[in-house]
Parts: sequence; C-alpha cells; structure tokens
Amino acid sequence: MDEASVSLRDIAHFSLRDLAGSRFPLLEYAPDAAVIVDADGRIRLVNAQTERLFGYYREELIGQPVEMLIPARYRGNHVKERSGYAGDPRVRPMGRLGLELFGLRKDGSEFPVEISLSPVSTREGTFIASAIRDVTERRAAERQLQELNTELTTASRAKDHFLAAMSHELRTPLNAILGFTGALLMKLPGPLTEEQERQLQIVQWAARHLLALINDILDLAKVQSGKRELSFEQVPVQKVVQDVIASFSHAADEKGVHLASSVASDAQTITTDRRSLRQILLNLTDNAVKYTEKGSVRIDARLTQSNGEPAIVLSVIDTGVGIRAEDLDRLFGAFEQLDPMSERRFEGTGLGLHLSRSLAQLLGGDVSVVSEFGRGSSFTLTLPVLHRG
Amino acid sequence: MSGRILVVDDNQANLDLMLYLLKAFGYEPQGAASGPAGLEAARAGNFDLVLIDILMPGMDGYELARLLRHDARLASTPLVAVTALAMATDRQRIETAGFNGYIAKPIEPETFAAQIERYLKGTAS
Repeated sequence: MDEASVSLRDIAHFSLRDLAGSRFPLLEYAPDAAVIVDADGRIRLVNAQTERLFGYYREELIGQPVEMLIPARYRGNHVKERSGYAGDPRVRPMGRLGLELFGLRKDGSEFPVEISLSPVSTREGTFIASAIRDVTERRAAERQLQELNTELTTASRAKDHFLAAMSHELRTPLNAILGFTGALLMKLPGPLTEEQERQLQIVQWAARHLLALINDILDLAKVQSGKRELSFEQVPVQKVVQDVIASFSHAADEKGVHLASSVASDAQTITTDRRSLRQILLNLTDNAVKYTEKGSVRIDARLTQSNGEPAIVLSVIDTGVGIRAEDLDRLFGAFEQLDPMSERRFEGTGLGLHLSRSLAQLLGGDVSVVSEFGRGSSFTLTLPVLHRG
Repeated sequence: MSGRILVVDDNQANLDLMLYLLKAFGYEPQGAASGPAGLEAARAGNFDLVLIDILMPGMDGYELARLLRHDARLASTPLVAVTALAMATDRQRIETAGFNGYIAKPIEPETFAAQIERYLKGTAS
C-alpha cells in the first residue's frame, strides 16, 4: 500500500490490518461498535467503541466466536443466520422488522442494539462487518412516549365522558324544574295569582338561563378540545342572513328596532360550516338587538381580502348603547359581562362572544369589534370564502 | 286526544312530570320506574305509544327497545326515546336502536302534547 494516501476506492486492496490502522481512522473512531468476523464467525477486528460498549479489551475478543457478544438464548439461531448471510452477503440491517436485538456485556448485562451488516472485501478475502449501535436511550424514550400517549388518550376519553355525564346529570333535574314550572304557567293545575305567575316566570327564566349556560359550556368544551364536528359546504349567505333576521323580527318589533340586511352580489356564497356560521350570526345579532333600545340593527355582507385570500365580511351593526374603549379588550373573554350592576347582567350567558370568536377561529376567521360608547357597535365576522382543509 | 301511553323513566320527578302532562292533555298514561318494570308493563298492557328514558340502571333504554322490538306482539308499537343525553353520538345511537323518534330533555311542556300526538298518529319522521 502507498503510505501517503488511502481512499475508500482502495479499500479492496486493504488487508484487515490496514482497516484497523492509523491510515484509516474512520473505523477505529466510528460512533458505532464495529466488529468484523471471518467466515467461521470468529472476531478478527474490533474498534474502540466495541471495547466501551461491551466492556472487553480487544485482546479478549480477537479470535473468539462472535456469539460471545450475544445473550445465550439467541446464540443457536445466530449461528444459523450467520451461515445464511455468508452465502448471500448484502448490506442490510440485522433482524426482521419489529424484532428487538440485544448485546451482552462482559459483566453479563444486556442492552438493546441495532445492527447493520455488510460484506468487506480485503486482500485476505471477504469478511462480514457489523456496525452495532446501543439504542438503550432511544428505546427508553420510545417507551416513555408510548406511555405518555396512552395516558393522554385515557385522560381525553375521561374528559369526554365527564362532559357527557355532566350534561346529562344537569339536564335531568332541569327537566323537572322547567317542566313543572311550565305546567304551572300553562295553568294546567288551576289559576294563578298575578304574583304567583310573576315569580314562576322568574323561575322559568332562570332555569332557561341555566340550560343556555350548559349548552354554551358544552359547545365551548367541544371547540376547545377539537371535538366540534364541522361540515364544510357551499353556504348561501343571503339565506343564512335572512333566517337570522327572521328569528329576531318579533323581539325587534316589540322594541321598535328596525332590522335590515344587505348581501353584496359578490358575497353570495361561502364554503364553510353552516351550523357554526349561523350560530355566530345568531349570537352577534342577539347581542345587538338586546343592547339597542331605538334605531336599527343591520347585517351587511361583502367581499374583501384577508391575508391575500378572498374573505367574506359579515358585520352586525347596531345603534345601541355601545362599548367603552377601555372595555373592548376583555369583551371576548369568558364570563366577561360588562357593567355587572346593570339590570342586563343576566340576559346572556357571558360566553356568547367568547364562543363566537372561538368558532370563527376554528373556521379560519375571526370576530372583531369597533364601537363608540353611546352611539352603537359593529361586530364583524370575517371568514375565508374557500375552505383549505 | 286519546291514547294509552307507557312512560318508562327511573327518575321519579321526571316520571311524575310526564305522567302529569299526559294526563292533563287527556291521554291515559301509565308509569314504570325501571327497564324490567317497563318490559313487564308493555307486555301486560295494550299501549299505543311507549316513552323510554335511555340512561337507567340495570336495563337501559336501548336494551328495553331491543327487547320490545323482538316481541312479535309489540314490534309495531311506536317507541320514543325521551332523554337528557345530548351528544351527537347519543342521537346517532338512538336512531339506530329501533326507536321511532327522540324527544330531548328538558322537554317543553308547551309543545310536548303536540310531539306526542305526531308519534301517536305515526306522522313524525
């Protein structure tokens, strides 16, 4: 061999001693244990990592059967496999998929390994080289990850179960409360005094409020845990807006508030979850009608661009009480009803805007607000026209 | 309005409520406070409609519906689930469990009779 330079191209002209020598340090300092055996399965060459990994000095290994590095229970099979490999030497990993391999240290302890095999041609003939990697840490990490995953799945299932059970257990007594209150108010058992009727109406109203809270909390829990079922389809904007307007026409008429809507010709269809869109608009319009004593509530839909994508903007604009600038920030928080001393304190659940924004974000959009105290508010739902799943 | 209606619910207050409302609207209701009691009553009586709570200890509403559906004499009696289960998966299971319909709790006393009437006439979907 030329003393000056050795390249991998020359490797076929190496002797085993060349492979282990200082002119070819790659093998000696490789991060994996390298063990080269001859056709009889005797160890002919090992590197420094082999000594560290298995706890032997190399003098103790050279000339010994390679099976000394394998737990006793695998040795018989290994001899057979080794003979098979000698007949068809290719570069390949040892073992079948999913089979865990183990190394045996001098002190008798075992450790999980990954092994790749390759034939090595030298001047002395063909040997079998194995690169052996200690995978103790990786196996431990994998196992930990698996356990964590199982725990998470269990926890998530327990939470779903808890929510479903809570919903059922709260509805059951509410059924009796709302049912009998309703029966009394329908005067099925007999006439009521004016005061009895007034008090029963308060019970009924409070029970309905409790039911609305349960529904909103469940909705929110579903949105937050990704369990909300969405079905994206082409939704006619005009139709949804008209339905929402229609469901408030009675309440608005009673207050003398004018309801109106306009949908621009280029904002007629959107690909989104119809139920969520409807729920958000109902919520925003409900608030607008509730907080407007005179004037109008209108829903305007138009096309715009948001982040370079076409988007539809649905604004619910009222001429109501408006919101103070300092209150705008906490408007979308859970249970953040403004003006807690006002008589409107319990008209909503305190979750409506929070839920609306969460839903809008789930659909790839958002809800925002501009308001002038004493003049009115404009809540704007922005949703992408196209759904990019 | 007339019709013999069996109501099966393990919650006494809710059983009372339904029996009261049905009677007030002119039906002939009978109550059973468990699945097995409901099965026995359904076999002994001659009902035009059976209202069944779903979550009951022991024999639940699904099991009761299955047993009633397998009774040749009762197989065509309309069965309606009246339940506080509100999840989409619950509704799907009720739809495939042999019920003719589903009324959610809390029930609305104002519309309860109209819903019952639709199931009695077999016009509810």
